[in-house]
Parts: sequence; C-alpha cells; structure tokens
Amino acid sequence: MLSYFFLLVSLLFLVFIPFVEARVYLDINAPTFVQIPIVLLKWKGVNKTPPALPVKVYEILANDLVLSGFFKVIDYQYLPNSLQGKEGIPPIDSLREWMSAGGEILLAGETSWEPGGQNLKLKFHLFDLVEQKHIVGKQYEGHHQVLRKMVHRMADEVVLQLTGERGVNNTKIAYVALQGGSKEIFIADFDGADVKPITQNRSINLSPAWSPDGKRIAFTSYLRRNPDLYLIDLEGQNLQGLSSYPGLNASPSWSPDGKKIVLMMGMEGKSDIFLIDADGRNPKKLTTGHGNEASPTWSPDGKQIAFVSDRAGSPQIYVMRTDGSDVRRLTFEGNYNTNPSWSPKGDRIAFCGRVEARYDIFTVGVDGSGLQRLTSNSGNNESPSWSPDGRYIAFSSTRYGGSKIFTMNANGFNQRPLTSGKGGESSPAWSRLFE
Amino acid sequence: MGKKSLIVLILILCFGLFIAGCPKKTVVKEEPSFRKAEEQAVAEREKAAKLEAEKAARERELARIREEEVKKAKEEEAKKAKEKEFEKSLVAKREPGITGEVFESKMLKDIHFDFDKYDIRSQDGEILKENASLLMKHPSVKIQIEGHCDERGTNEYNLALGERRANAAKKYLIALGLSADRISTISYGEERPADPGHNEEAWATNRRDHFVILSK
Repeated sequence: MLSYFFLLVSLLFLVFIPFVEARVYLDINAPTFVQIPIVLLKWKGVNKTPPALPVKVYEILANDLVLSGFFKVIDYQYLPNSLQGKEGIPPIDSLREWMSAGGEILLAGETSWEPGGQNLKLKFHLFDLVEQKHIVGKQYEGHHQVLRKMVHRMADEVVLQLTGERGVNNTKIAYVALQGGSKEIFIADFDGADVKPITQNRSINLSPAWSPDGKRIAFTSYLRRNPDLYLIDLEGQNLQGLSSYPGLNASPSWSPDGKKIVLMMGMEGKSDIFLIDADGRNPKKLTTGHGNEASPTWSPDGKQIAFVSDRAGSPQIYVMRTDGSDVRRLTFEGNYNTNPSWSPKGDRIAFCGRVEARYDIFTVGVDGSGLQRLTSNSGNNESPSWSPDGRYIAFSSTRYGGSKIFTMNANGFNQRPLTSGKGGESSPAWSRLFE
Repeated sequence: MGKKSLIVLILILCFGLFIAGCPKKTVVKEEPSFRKAEEQAVAEREKAAKLEAEKAARERELARIREEEVKKAKEEEAKKAKEKEFEKSLVAKREPGITGEVFESKMLKDIHFDFDKYDIRSQDGEILKENASLLMKHPSVKIQIEGHCDERGTNEYNLALGERRANAAKKYLIALGLSADRISTISYGEERPADPGHNEEAWATNRRDHFVILSK
C-alpha cells in the first residue's frame, strides 16, 4: 500500500525568490547556542480546503521545529490580539508589524486541497524580521496521504535555511519494545508518530540495524532457539535468514556501501567480531585473543570499526581497521564503557559509560580526546544512536521509570522522549534521511 | 548249704559292698567294648555337631546370599526409581516465540556467578559434579546450557558474558567425562531473568547457567 502512495508523491519545488542571504542565523557547531525565536503564523487553508487540514499542518510543523531544538517557537495564539488572526503569507511591506511579536524569523504558509482530490499543495515563506527581508519560499505537492511526510520535508528545509544543514524530521527510528513477554522491533517517525511493528513473532528480537538504503532492517531473533541474524523489510515482510551459526549472531552494523555486515559471533565458544557479506556468506573473524568482543559499529568512511573489548580486564571502546589490524583503545576512564556509535560526521563516537552504579551517554573524539558527558542524574542511559546528520543522538533512558527512547541534540541539550508509550523500549537505531 | 558256699556268698557280698562303698577311682582297666562304644558315641556326637555346624554355615551363607540379593534388588529398584524419578521430574517447556520443546528438571540444578564474572566457583563445581553424575546415569539425554546475566549493563555485552558462562560449564562437564556432543550452549544475556526484581537478591539469582534437556 505504502509503495502506492510513494508512487503518487510528486514533489514540485517552486522557488519564488532565490536565497542570497549571507547572515549566519545559528552556529550549530558551538557547544551551546541560543535558540532562534521564530514566529509561526496561523496556517491558511485556501479554496475548498477543510479547516482541519491547515490546523494539522501547523501542529506537525510547530512540533518539528520544537523537536529540532534550534528554535523557540512563538505560537500565533500568544501574539498580541492585533496579530493573532492574521493567517497565510503577509506582504513584505507589512513585516514591521511583526516586530512586537518578539521573533527574529517569521514563518507563514498555506495549504490547498480539494476534498476527494488526490494531491494537496503546501506553500511556505520565511522572513527575516530583523532585516525585514524575505529569505525563501517553496511549494510542495503530493498525495494527501503523505501529508506528514510533506510537512516534515518542509520543516527540514526551514532548518536548512536557518542552520545551514537540512533537518532530520524526515527520518525514522527503529527500536525494541516489550510486548507481553516478548521483545518486538518497531519503527516510528522522528516526531514519534506512525509507530509500526516490524516483527510480531512473540520471540526475543534484538539490535535492529538499518541497511544504508533505508529499505531493510537487520536484527537478531531467538525464533529458532538460537540468537540468529535476520533481514526484514519495513512492512515486516520478506523475512530472510542471514546467519545462524551455533552461538551468537548478534549486534549487526552495516558498512556504508551496504555490502558487508560486522557482528558478534560466538561459534568459537566466546563472542568475537566477525565480518560477513550482506547475504550472510563468507564469515571472517576480525578479533583475536582471549577477550570478550561486542557491539561493533562501522565508521562513516567505511575504513574502521569501533567495538567493545574486555581484553584489558574490563569492557572498553576500541577501534580497528576493517581487516582487524591496528587495534587501539579509545576509552581509559571508568571500568565499563560499551555501546559505541560512530557519528556520521566521522569525528566523534558516542558510547555508554558506567559511573558508580549508573549508566550515562558520553561522546569522545575519534583520537580519544575531548571526552564529553551528555547525561547525568537521570536514571540509566544506554544505546546511543546518531541521527544521519550527526547533530542528534537517540538513546534509551529509565529516568521516568521504565526504559524509553529519548532524543537529544549532540551537545546534550533538549532531551525529550520519542514516543508516548508506557516504557520497555530500548536499542534505538536512527535511519538515513528519507527523500 | 555248705560252709564253703556260705563263705563265697559272704565274700561276694563283701566284694559287692566294697564296690559299692568304694570311692570312684579312675578305672585303670577299661572294658574294651565299652570304650569302643564311648568312642563311637563321641565320634557320632562330633560328626553330628560337625554336620550341624556345616548346616548352620550353609544356612548362614544362604541367608547372606539372600540378603545380598534382596539388597541388590532394592538397589536396582532404587536405581530404577531414581531413573523414573528423573524421568518423572521432567517438565515440558514451550515458549510461543521460540521453536521446539525442551524439558526442565529440578534434579538438574542451576549454578550461579559473581557479578561480571564467568568462572566456576567451587560450590558451583560441586553442583556441576552432581549434575554430571546424574547425566552419566542417563547416557541418552542431551542438554543445552543457557547462560544468563542480571539486568545491569548493556544488552550486547551481556550476550557475550552469557555465552562465556554457558561455555564455562560445558568445559567443566566435559572434563568430568561427559561427551561434548551431548551438550550445546546458548546465551540469553539479560533477556530471560528468572527473578523480575531489581535488587541484589534478584540479580544474584539471575546470574546463572540453567540446564534444559533437549532430548531424552
């Protein structure tokens, strides 16, 4: 069904005025930043658009902007009375009116849809209130059933215009959730909507990992009374066995070119890091020695693998080349550092470190310098997974009782739960950017 | 009667009195036929006694043999009963999301581990010896050793720890004489706690190897 919708999606970009502004709105590389105050005008419905539709667009858009962590959204309902009712795109010479709203940026737009029709149109404009200029305007057109996706696409564009990098609202997060006595794999949109089960086999299903093309998920399941590696599509169909050697076949991570998978295998009596082809063939052992090896993760340039080893007496983060050579240790503080995840920017690795009896998320430079702690005094925080732009980290946290998936900016700001579910969620995996 | 016969009578009487009145002295001169009879009697008594003794000895031997047989029979019975006990103790276990059926027995005991460790402690070695001896008596039984962890720490590293715990017990059992093809291993990491609690007691219970029977 979904493929039908995607077939029908046609996105038309109509740029009204080219973007020439050189002003830097937000330095996202700064360790802390002040959020941009952005006024969000009431969304307008044109022609015969049912009134509920622009309200919905507004809701999703405002939420996306808040979730991004870059904005302080000024909702139109909190504007002075004279401005509250204004909807749609204001004429450029009226921008002075909005100075009292307290924002630096103004975002406004409209939606048009013929009920019974297939496609709807989405149009937005961004204005700089400080310099009283138009920044950019764009229009999207698509099947009405992919409304959410279109709004996410629009929000991503706003983030691109104001921070220099596209947003991640059009991404998904896979994770493991308790369901009855079993653990199943689910995916959800970045804003937590559209939760879908990927497995429903009532077994123990662990460690989802997205293929680089975003079309399939590798995971481990105890379906056949052994932790075996499987592949499945985003509809939860076309289950394919990848690796079922005796012992562990667990914790997969894909090479960036999608041709190989690195994983934990226990066929030799203890857990080691192995490489296999994406079809499961040609297992090759990468680690040597007497340690327990776990949680491999591929670097974005495809040349190195970070992993966990206790060869020195306690579990620590190590890095090696993809042929197993040149092993070097990355973490030296604390006696329990696990769950490495390599930033898509290539420069930092996030991991879970135990401090006294609690587990927290840290990041460290790939050369081992610049250790940064991102969570503290908030229960147990584990399993970090970077967003595809390297500006966010998803992780699990028990700060509200049961384990839930959270997201935060890569500097630790803006920590918030992903879904409104009741808990029992773990092992998040962030997808690529979808078109 | 004449005087002569009267004197003989008196002499006989005196002799008779003399015999009667004499203290018993060892008879120096025995009557051969009497002696023979005595000897015969003694011999017969000895023979009878010997026969009695032999009979008694045979009877004791028989009794001993019977006793032993009874004892053996009882042991056999006990052994069969124990075998039956083991068979009786098998409880089938099925889980909806995991194929196949396994059996569990309270006679195969769990062993436990220290935090973050997978070496076999001496008290657990004793339990493994008991488990091994039970399994030796049932040579057709195949088992699977499940390695488990407590809930703390990350899931993947705990999978590795569970793998080690299961294999440590396997090595120990093989060293005790069980053949390797009777034993398979599986790590469940922290995914299948025995105690759902979140305290030291629950954690200690969950750091375990659990033994299941794959086939009888």
